[in-house]
Amino acid sequence: MRKMENSRLFKLWMVVSTLIVLISVGFIIGYIVLNGIKSISLDFIISSPKGLPLGSEGGILPAIVGSLLLMLIACGFASFLALATAIYVVFYCQSSQIENIVHIIVQCMAGVPSIVIGLFGYTFLVAKLGLGRSLLSAGLTLGVMVFPFIEVRIEKSLQEFSTAALQSSYALGVSKAYTLFKLVLPQCKEDIVAAITLAGGFAMGATAPIILTGAVIFAPIPSSLSSPVMALPFHLYILTGEGISLEKAYATALVLITLIFAINIISIALTSRRKEVGS
Amino acid sequence: MYKVLDVAFSKLIKLLTIFSLLLLAFVVVFIFRESVVFFKEVSVLSFISGRSWNPLLAADNLGIFNIILGTLYVSLVAIILALPIGVGMALLLAGYVEGRVRAIIRGIIDILAGIPSVVYGFIGLLVLVKWFETRLDLSSGESVLAGGILLAVMVLPYVISTCHESMEKAYRRHAPSSQALGVSRSYLLREIVLPESRRAIIAATVLALGRAMGETMAVMMVIGNAPIPPTLLGKCQTIPSLIALEMGMAEVGSLHYHSLFASGLVLMAVLLAINLVFYFVRRSAFMK
Repeated sequence: MRKMENSRLFKLWMVVSTLIVLISVGFIIGYIVLNGIKSISLDFIISSPKGLPLGSEGGILPAIVGSLLLMLIACGFASFLALATAIYVVFYCQSSQIENIVHIIVQCMAGVPSIVIGLFGYTFLVAKLGLGRSLLSAGLTLGVMVFPFIEVRIEKSLQEFSTAALQSSYALGVSKAYTLFKLVLPQCKEDIVAAITLAGGFAMGATAPIILTGAVIFAPIPSSLSSPVMALPFHLYILTGEGISLEKAYATALVLITLIFAINIISIALTSRRKEVGS
Repeated sequence: MYKVLDVAFSKLIKLLTIFSLLLLAFVVVFIFRESVVFFKEVSVLSFISGRSWNPLLAADNLGIFNIILGTLYVSLVAIILALPIGVGMALLLAGYVEGRVRAIIRGIIDILAGIPSVVYGFIGLLVLVKWFETRLDLSSGESVLAGGILLAVMVLPYVISTCHESMEKAYRRHAPSSQALGVSRSYLLREIVLPESRRAIIAATVLALGRAMGETMAVMMVIGNAPIPPTLLGKCQTIPSLIALEMGMAEVGSLHYHSLFASGLVLMAVLLAINLVFYFVRRSAFMK
């Protein structure tokens, strides 16, 4: 009898937990979409913030462009380094000890809180290197943040590459670099691009690192790497924090999550295509 | 010709790897360098154990004891809420859901992980905080509990995916023999899969703790940001939100400025330790 009771409670626990998670997701998405859709318009997307206080009228075009540019810089910088590190660990590193050390360092980097990375960007990039609060500083800071994220995923994809194919290639006397460029990278291409786009979504949503390094309340569309930028998450924070306009805040939130989901969907589509080809 | 290129390429890869790994050293060194200035004036011990935070007064008014307590309190509330829910859902995913449905549910969990923290903070402020104010009749809904609930939702995806990975493996390993013995699925999950995933659950807790303590925006928007001793329904302050809020006001080079780096250093030290623990627990959880 007690056993039946236990089993029921156990099942109830699992079902309730799952429902809580699903309802939370539904609520969050529903809340943003339903409230945002009312105040969004084409004009909102293609015009600059106006009104007094600034942002209470007009649109968010500079913030959209700013966020996309930040994402590009962050991903460019981080994926270049991440790809190199992953290739080194999987194909060039001879000792398992070094491999371990690399893994530990990457794990530690993933653990540094984003606000501390922001502090680092502020002292090093903004102050020390004299880049100022700019698109470049903020982009690079975000790059430092997403580097471990990309590295882990690329490394996993490279690790899954068939050892038989690798060994055949080496046995034929083909050089390592040639094997990499002609055999490994083309096959892992989708996974690598997926990892980078996923990181792009992550970078686009991050606020903490850019508060100190380059995001500003208002700026036109950046004309160079050294100009300050507007970014969607920071704009949303200002609109709510300062109580400027709730309507615009809903609409900004909707634009932000729509962009991030679009990026995630691209990433998922790429990974599943690879799986289909592989099977 | 190829040989030369080959060697050059391997050197380049090595160089870039070293550079990437140095990034961590850079971060640590630069935060450390700015903190040292502060620790010359105020001892580490009195900084950590000091109970008042008032950057406008003298140096001995810069103590982050309450802020550290606040950071821990909010994170613990989040974990206490998230852990049972996350483990429950991971068990259900491992034992009852398969194929397409599982892929869809995992997609939904990825959505949760992909929502930016400002959006969480925004919803937390408009829904949670408001609800506390109207329903619980609090003068201010900005509280440790609001931050904890919000953080719980944010760390759930990490808890679920870390647990799920190991539970799925355990389930697959034991499913054939337990089906042959006629043991029910829920019995298998409860008596074998759950105990066997103990280490993964510990790893998930550690990871979630790290995420929760380092979270800035969502927490900052709902906890009220008052450096007072935290209570469940009262305001509090956490280290990340302290830095994010006050960095803009602090004059560059002032003691206040350096004290913010010092609190960043404290936070980073704790989180690096947590992540090392996570790395080793997780490794031992998946080595078996």
